[in-house]
Amino acid sequence: MKASPVEGPDGGWGWVLVAALFVCNTLVFGLMRVFGIFFVEFVHYFGESAQAISWISSIGVATQQFFSTVGAALGNAYGARVVVMAGGFLTGLGLILASQATAVFHLYLTMGVITGLGWGLVFAPMMATVMAHFTRRRTMALGLSLSSIGLSAFAYNPLFQLLIESYTWRGALLIAGALAFNIIPCGALIGPQKHSVPSMLQRVSSYMALSVLLERPYITLVLATSFMNAGFFVPYIHLVALGRGARFSDYQAAFLVSSAGIADIVGRLFSGWFTDLGYFRMIHVLTTWAMLLGLSIALLPVSTLTGSYLVVTVASVLYGFCSGALTALPFSILPQIVGVGRVMGALGLLQMLESGAGLLGTPLSGYLRDITGEFFISFLVAGSFLLVAGLILTTQPHFFSQGCEEELLCCY
Amino acid sequence: MSAPCMHPSCLLLLLLVVCRHAHTNLVSVTENTTVTTEPPVETLSPITPPVAPLTPLQTGQKSVVLTGENHTEKVEVVNPVTLNLECVWTGDNKRLPNITGYWTKDGKTIESSYSNTQLQNDRYYLRKEFSIMSEEDLGTYSCIFGPKAKVDFILAAPYLGEMRDKPIVSYVGDSVVMICKMDEKKSKPINWNWYKHNGTSKEKIEVDSPGHRYKITKDEKKTKLVVHNLTESDSGVYFCGAVYGIGTSMGHMQLRVITYFEPLKPFLGILVEVLVLVAVILLYEKTGSKKENQSGPEGNPDQTSNLSHGENAVADGHSGTARQRKV
Repeated sequence: MKASPVEGPDGGWGWVLVAALFVCNTLVFGLMRVFGIFFVEFVHYFGESAQAISWISSIGVATQQFFSTVGAALGNAYGARVVVMAGGFLTGLGLILASQATAVFHLYLTMGVITGLGWGLVFAPMMATVMAHFTRRRTMALGLSLSSIGLSAFAYNPLFQLLIESYTWRGALLIAGALAFNIIPCGALIGPQKHSVPSMLQRVSSYMALSVLLERPYITLVLATSFMNAGFFVPYIHLVALGRGARFSDYQAAFLVSSAGIADIVGRLFSGWFTDLGYFRMIHVLTTWAMLLGLSIALLPVSTLTGSYLVVTVASVLYGFCSGALTALPFSILPQIVGVGRVMGALGLLQMLESGAGLLGTPLSGYLRDITGEFFISFLVAGSFLLVAGLILTTQPHFFSQGCEEELLCCY
Repeated sequence: MSAPCMHPSCLLLLLLVVCRHAHTNLVSVTENTTVTTEPPVETLSPITPPVAPLTPLQTGQKSVVLTGENHTEKVEVVNPVTLNLECVWTGDNKRLPNITGYWTKDGKTIESSYSNTQLQNDRYYLRKEFSIMSEEDLGTYSCIFGPKAKVDFILAAPYLGEMRDKPIVSYVGDSVVMICKMDEKKSKPINWNWYKHNGTSKEKIEVDSPGHRYKITKDEKKTKLVVHNLTESDSGVYFCGAVYGIGTSMGHMQLRVITYFEPLKPFLGILVEVLVLVAVILLYEKTGSKKENQSGPEGNPDQTSNLSHGENAVADGHSGTARQRKV
């Protein structure tokens, strides 16, 4: 055994899979964001409260994250290809069935559970497969494929507005279901997989990579990403409200989000390229971006104190950039922490464990806003969550010393 | 009263009847707007003049100070009213002591309105009283100072809230909800009505029309029209009217009823595209693997990682392997 970095594939068919993951991400997270457009239509049509309708997207997101580990386990057992294709089918099926709904409860089951389950089966196996195809350019590949999420938010908004105006939400959901079926050819691109039947129960624990739970580096990462999750989404949801609270017009407040979105895409690509240059260890880069993001989130409410729209826009751009820069890194560092073999299971577990923090983060922010009357404190708290995450990461074994040891092949 | 009722109880009864009769007459006078009461009852006690009639005629005042060349003022009229409109003009640099002013309604000059205005406190004043009784009296009233300055008063019943300018779409057999809202700040209408345009005119929609397909709910500031079991002939323009004392304020929206075939076309198109892609990918693979079989098996990253994972699982269980980091 030599103390040298793992030799592995880097590119080639991998770039095709990056494109496939790019498309999948729009059909998973892009569609998740579109639920907001349907929100208004559902409230009008069913006459239900905003809270009752909000549950539809909450159930969808929670189901995706929770079943990520199932998707990972099945991907290990049956091969990512079959699982992703099945996931794509379920996602589309859920949306098509939702178009026939006559009660909000139907939407919970179809748009929420069935589509959420489909999403869960798609994300972890697809991501893990892409990661397996890259070693040195992993972060770049992931950053590139994740950048589609920001782009799809731009493209889907007008598209679905048009679909709803032409065909009502029923027709729009029907077409969305057909669009979601495009996950199937993306999965087909993975290539033939070895089919293995889980004959023994202990295989399940290995498919879910439960062994990682006993290892300190992984636990540290989970803890850190949970804190990241708690703070990460707060500006996404509350930035517009913060802008309006600072007496900016609706369009100005909306533009803050847009500018953050563009900076997000640039940040992802930059971070991917920079990390893969290898000047710094990935764990250091991850920690730095986490702390920078925490600072930029805390900076946002402070910038509104100046009252200048330009200052707040700059702060939003900074936030977007750091946010995008951070996103791919917790994923791309995973193979170095748990080993490529256990990545799929570890990824699924990671998603499931951090989802709890994500669920709590935004309501906590809302609660802080309710009791203080504005978003100042809630943004500071969200920023502090990220700073805490960065601090937790510094407790990673061998953070300050060189990671490579005699009997080990990889260092992070 | 005739003498026969001499018994005390009878007298009491008689007294009660007389008093009661007088009382009812008294009450009816105060409620009645018409003055047709019997004089003797009126002199019984000093009665206050009849209380305000059911629809009192209000008076209103609107005054605008004009500094530029023209100005537009929106005036909301809810009930019939006697409106005093006043225009105050700061004048131009000529400062003539006397100028002619007049009023127009909807562009047509009101002949009797010509007057000479004098400069008072460095300003010119034009005042006129208008009787706004019904919907015809609404419109644009303008005061014009000489040929130079103009103030438009647009008199109208309260405008309806934001109306959707894009057509409302719904499916055959489905139901649709159409809403008309009056702003929170404006007065509430007396009633709401719904109409459908049938090519030549507006036809009022009655809830008890054959088939019971329509349902109208009326809240104070909001009204909803629900149409069940839609057919393609339900497409068209619908009007909602907010009824006020002065007239009805209309809003309109367009309904389009489509069949399921419309979204089905793009849906099937995308399905075909997906099937074609999958078929192409699988075919490409089959031909590719045939070539591989002829040239010899090659490594495939997916199979490699799967194999190594399988080995890890069977051989090592929980302990790390060469590729993993140990704590």
